[in-house]
Order: sequence, then C-alpha cells, then structure tokens
Amino acid sequence: MRTNKIARVGIIAALYASITIALAPISYGMVQVRISEAMTILPFIFPESILGLFIGCLIANVYGGMVLDIFFGSLATLIAAYMTSKMPHIWLAPLPPVVVNAVVVGLILKFAVDAPLLLSIIYVGIGQMIACYILGLSLFYILKKYNWYK
Amino acid sequence: MLKDITIGQYIPGNSPIHKIDPRTKIITICFYMTGLFLVNNLTGYLVVTLFTIGAILMSQISFITIMKGIKPLSFIIMLTLGLHIFMTEGDNVIWQWGIFKVTQQGVQQGVFMSLRLIYLITITSLLTLTTTPIALTDGIEKVLKALFIPVAHELAMMMTIALRFIPTLIEETEKIMKAQMARGADFESGGLLTRARSLIPLLVPLFLSSFRRADDLAMAMEARCYRGGENRTRMKQLVMGYRDCIAFIAMTIFLVVAILTRYWL
Repeated sequence: MRTNKIARVGIIAALYASITIALAPISYGMVQVRISEAMTILPFIFPESILGLFIGCLIANVYGGMVLDIFFGSLATLIAAYMTSKMPHIWLAPLPPVVVNAVVVGLILKFAVDAPLLLSIIYVGIGQMIACYILGLSLFYILKKYNWYK
Repeated sequence: MLKDITIGQYIPGNSPIHKIDPRTKIITICFYMTGLFLVNNLTGYLVVTLFTIGAILMSQISFITIMKGIKPLSFIIMLTLGLHIFMTEGDNVIWQWGIFKVTQQGVQQGVFMSLRLIYLITITSLLTLTTTPIALTDGIEKVLKALFIPVAHELAMMMTIALRFIPTLIEETEKIMKAQMARGADFESGGLLTRARSLIPLLVPLFLSSFRRADDLAMAMEARCYRGGENRTRMKQLVMGYRDCIAFIAMTIFLVVAILTRYWL
C-alpha cells in the first residue's frame, strides 16, 4: 500500500474516533446519532477507507464500554463499509451502514443492556439514517465541490 | 476540556511500565479487558480496582493526568449510570415516583457499568501514555503477524497514526466548534435533525484540514524514506525481559482471580 494511502487511512480512523468521542453523549446507547457515521459514505469513493472506518470504530467503541460493541459493532462497520464500496449508485451508498448497524447494534443493545429489540433497531436505524443519509450525502456533495478526493 | 483526553498521548518516563515490551502490554491489556468484562460482583470490582491503581502507581503517571482523561467523558459515564439505575428491574425498591423506580440492583449495575467504563478508558490511556508511537507500531505489528494477519505492518502503522492523531483532531474539533460558534453557528438548540444538520459547518472544515494533514504526513514519511514494511529493519529490536515475565504472571493471576470471583464468590 502506498504511503499516502496509509496516512489517509490512519487519519480517517483518527477522525472517526475523534468525532465519536468528542460528541460522546449522542454517539452511544439506544438513542444515538453517531455523527461520525457520516463518514461511512467514504468507501464509495475511496475503498481504502474501509480499514480506516473499522480501526476508528474499534477505538471509539472502547469508550462505549460494551464488550459486544467493541467486537461486533466494529465488525458491522467493516461489513457495511465493504458493502458501501460495492454499491452501484451514490444514493444507495449509505444504505448498508443504516441496515447493518441498525440490526447489529440493535441486537448488541438487546444482549448487553436488555433493551427492547425492535425499539433499539428502530432508534438506531433512525439515528443512522440521519447520520448517513442527511449528513453523509450532504458532506459528500459539499466535499465534491472542493474536489478534495482527487 | 476535550483536549484533556489522554488516549494517544505519550508521557516520557522511566517507570517499570514504560520499560515493559509493547507486545506484553498489548497482550496483557487483552487479559485485563477479559477480566474486567468477566467480573460482576463487588469482590471482583475490588480486585480490578486494586490492579488498576497498582498499574497507575507503577507507571508513575499522576492520578491528575488520568482524571483529566476521564473528565471529558463524564457525561457519558453519568448517562450510563443513570440509564442503568432507572432501567434495571429489581425486587428491592429504594425509591419510586410514578413510573420511575430505583432498585438496589439498578444502583449496583449502574455503579459497576460506570466503573467498567472508567477502567477501560484508564487502561487504554495508560497504554499510549507509557509507550512511544514507534514502539506501539512495532508491538502491534508483531502481535498481528503472530495472528497470521496479512499486511500486518501497514495495519499497525494505520492504528498508530490513528492513536497518535486522536488528541490532535479532538483539539481541532474543539477549535473549529468555537470558531463557528463565534460566527453565529448554533450546535445546541433545535431538534435532533436540526442539531445534526448544524454540525455540517463543523464537519466540512474538519474533513478538509484532516485530509490536508494526511497529505503532509505522507510527504513527511516519504521524505524520511518510508517504504512500508518491506525490507524494513529496526535500530531498536524488541526484547522481552524479566519485567515481561512478571507482567504476564501478574495478569494471569488477575484473570484467574476475576474468573474465581465470578463463578465461585
């Protein structure tokens, strides 16, 4: 892997973890809007960021304090990021992080804190929709305007 | 306050914890986390508390530094405490007001979960506070290679860059937030959707400056002839010594005691 890609992936991981930790009150738990999930749009245009999101999520989830979230939450991000990189259209790119995280994080909350499953899936899903579709897509179009990823 | 977060920072020192091999630190932290997630009663948490205090004292990192690292996350710790207190069902009701009920089990669960979070933050911070980024990269790389994970060097380098830049980017987030607030941005009022959208003026400059930083970093690495893991040699080889043996023995005892407190006490 080229040096600039290694550096960029490392910084993406740091950015994901930093935003999650900096906005900690709304980044964890059942009613969460993890703003850093807006970054899950990145694998669509920059496939190397899959690893960055996984590492960032792994570090950020340590601060959540749930063992299941550290392993399965990070794995969910990895799988969703991979699926995003394979999506045929930008409007479909935020769909995998919404669906995968709503289901996996919903299940994690069910087993870790005995939260109602369906309600957890709905809450996490809504939070992911806001982060991935509204913020992620807005961010994508604004950043595209600056030609930042060329 | 956010810049006080200690994860990713390194404080030079000459303590026994500083001198332990990074591989030992990474593996023993896995032992510690396993023990921490296993304990579920007062005795278990007492054991974890003693081990954590012992580790902090041995590292010669001041308690104030550790507390500063925990302070920015006090809200989420309080939230964890509150959620468990009010959401855990139990028989011994301490206080009740309408649908709100506080039980003994809820208070216990809330305190345990908050302590778990505090100890997790403390121990991960202690790893980066006592290990240089280079040693940490070497340590992660060797552990990943032992697990037969491909591109171990690249992965280790990415993890180290991430850990190294977390404090920098958190500081930058705080700085941009203040700058945008000075320009009239409002991050605190409105509904969930409005508040989420109000964060765009924070995210855009943060993204742009981060990617600029990544390009500068790549250029600096290449200027120092960095070419990835291939044919890479090290001036300082990692060697395990008696300290590492002691650390492994201590953490094995810790893990066994944690298991004993869960299943036999």
